[in-house]
Amino acid sequence: MLGQILYALPFLAQGFAVTLWVSLLVVVLSLIAGVLLGVGLVYGPLPLRWAVRIFSDTIRGIPILVLMFFVYYGLPAIGLHLPSFWAAVSALTLFKTAQVIEYLRGAVGSIPKGQSEAAMAIGLTFRQRLAYVIFPQAFRRFLPPWINGVTDAVKGSALVSLLGITDLMQAINQVIGRTYEAMPLYILGALIYFAVNYALSLASRRLERRFSFIRE
Amino acid sequence: MGYALNFNLIWRHFDKLWGGLLLSLELAVISIAIGTVIGLVLAVWYVSAGRTVRAIIAAYVEFIRNVPLILLVYLVFYGVPTVVDLAYSAPTSFVLTLSVYSGAYLVEVFRSGLEAVPRGQLDAGKAIGLTPWQRLLHVRLPTMLRITLPALSNTFISLFKDTSIASVISVPELTFGAQWINFNTFRIVEVYLVTTAMYLVTGYVLLFGLRLVERRFRAAR
Amino acid sequence: MSEASNASPVLLDVSGVSKAFGAIEVLRSVNLEVKRGEVVTVIGPSGSGKTTLLRCVNFLESYDSGSIRIDGKEVGYLSAGTRQRRGERDLAAMRAETGMVFQSFNLFPHLTAAGNIMLGLTKVRKKSQAEARSIAEHWLGRVGLAHKADSLPAELSGGQQQRVGIARAVAMEPKILLLDEITSALDPELVGEVLAVVRSLAEDGMTMLMVTHEMAFARDASSRIVFMADGGVSAVGPPKEILAAETTNERLRTFLARFRASYF
Repeated sequence: MLGQILYALPFLAQGFAVTLWVSLLVVVLSLIAGVLLGVGLVYGPLPLRWAVRIFSDTIRGIPILVLMFFVYYGLPAIGLHLPSFWAAVSALTLFKTAQVIEYLRGAVGSIPKGQSEAAMAIGLTFRQRLAYVIFPQAFRRFLPPWINGVTDAVKGSALVSLLGITDLMQAINQVIGRTYEAMPLYILGALIYFAVNYALSLASRRLERRFSFIRE
Repeated sequence: MGYALNFNLIWRHFDKLWGGLLLSLELAVISIAIGTVIGLVLAVWYVSAGRTVRAIIAAYVEFIRNVPLILLVYLVFYGVPTVVDLAYSAPTSFVLTLSVYSGAYLVEVFRSGLEAVPRGQLDAGKAIGLTPWQRLLHVRLPTMLRITLPALSNTFISLFKDTSIASVISVPELTFGAQWINFNTFRIVEVYLVTTAMYLVTGYVLLFGLRLVERRFRAAR
Repeated sequence: MSEASNASPVLLDVSGVSKAFGAIEVLRSVNLEVKRGEVVTVIGPSGSGKTTLLRCVNFLESYDSGSIRIDGKEVGYLSAGTRQRRGERDLAAMRAETGMVFQSFNLFPHLTAAGNIMLGLTKVRKKSQAEARSIAEHWLGRVGLAHKADSLPAELSGGQQQRVGIARAVAMEPKILLLDEITSALDPELVGEVLAVVRSLAEDGMTMLMVTHEMAFARDASSRIVFMADGGVSAVGPPKEILAAETTNERLRTFLARFRASYF
């Protein structure tokens, strides 16, 4: 049994690399999209606010799995063919983007209106206000939930296995298909996911403490 | 483009979706009920227990919360029966998994709620001569519930959405029904539009109902 | 055009400004002039539109009709006739010409006292870090806080924070300084130190428009006092005239009577 698992380790490592790559893509892409749309939600003109609100509430209201099948099977029907890898990454990114939008709204919304006004009063433009006054303060409120959410991205990435992508989850299933050692391999997989995510959540707690010294 | 929406085939197989939705709700309700019991018991135990018990409960919570649900579902359905002489159906297996899974999330919700109960209330309970059990039942738990209701509602909705994972072990809930229609009719866009709408409407109806409960609970105090 | 208007003694010209929040008219055709070097104080009961007027001057609030000009230049709109707002950059540049001090200080909590002052100097005035720092230190010295340059706002008392707020506004060398109830949020024992700073700025010839409830200070430091009631200017004149007990303005008399009981 142990021999078979050792034999499969390089294969599992490859799958693990795919898991990390998918997670990283999702985290980075959703951060960019979420911050942009979040700024649109807070400061944009009314139609944009509505659009972002509907987008966020809809995406967060459906299971990621359904979203993923929709993107993968549904988009080709309207002429958009995405390879399974990018379909999976897009769906996970859409979901995560909606979360980032909410983190950003919460973080920016917690900053008193007087801060924007004081920044306006000294003649800062909108972008300067965001860059030098709003974001530096919003950052420490945004960071803890966002890092916590990174573990969601890693966990969510396991769903890409359902589109036939050989991530850690799929690699485990494939090794089980050859070796029939279901229990040890699932436990090994669980431990790997746990190790990554637990490390991330510890990091988030530390950061939270580090940034708590800035008082209001 | 040139894709014309046609919902006829969806309506013909709508029982797959409707039956699926009912099963999704059933899975969610049973799992959440068991999970709530697990969560409450462990949370109450945690706040009054010594170091070892706390560490064990924390280990359970941290482990479950940091592992993908899909892996736990596979582990319980395909893994556990290989080492334990147990036979259970896919729906039972999923309910088992989601119960343990939701229990871990709910321990956290209840624990933080219990810790947020103001000291003064407990002291007041002591002052009027309530026993520890009475204090728990009449002071601590009701206050904790009121504090945690919003977070509890969100967790419940999120667990309802998680039932879609049951489709990976062929439990014929809503997502499974959608896939069946997808593969058998190829009205792909339509089926996912309808499925999405069903999840959204159900989710928001649940949320609305839970908010009503929250309001009533607050008014009753 | 700006060359010509520079010669005019009138720095701020508010004419016929009206504004409504929904059905409530907060400003009704307000007219007001502030000349260079003048200190004009706006008094009046709460809800009379004082703060809204002040916030219109640097366009933190828009107004429905009328015109506000600083140095002959229309403030928030492209011209007096249109309600077409200036672009973002244009508006920011206009605001840099007016300094504002807030009731709740609104210091940037993530920046030190010096950092608060330097932000506008480096990003708007495009000064170097070193130059901005020396200007910041100069003004912190003026408000008696040279030793607090590197303190965060949370480490300062309310009075100290407000003095930094004043330094942040004047360091930009604004044409006019707007002071919005700057002592209202302070403990009574801290009011004096802030008012002393304002007084010394007035002596330097800084043009100021301020809203305050400090009647004694208004009487001593103002060139003129404007009494607002129900969104309009009810009386204007030198302090002695406006604060006189024998005024014939019914509203003003009731307003002052309430203050006299506690302040005079």
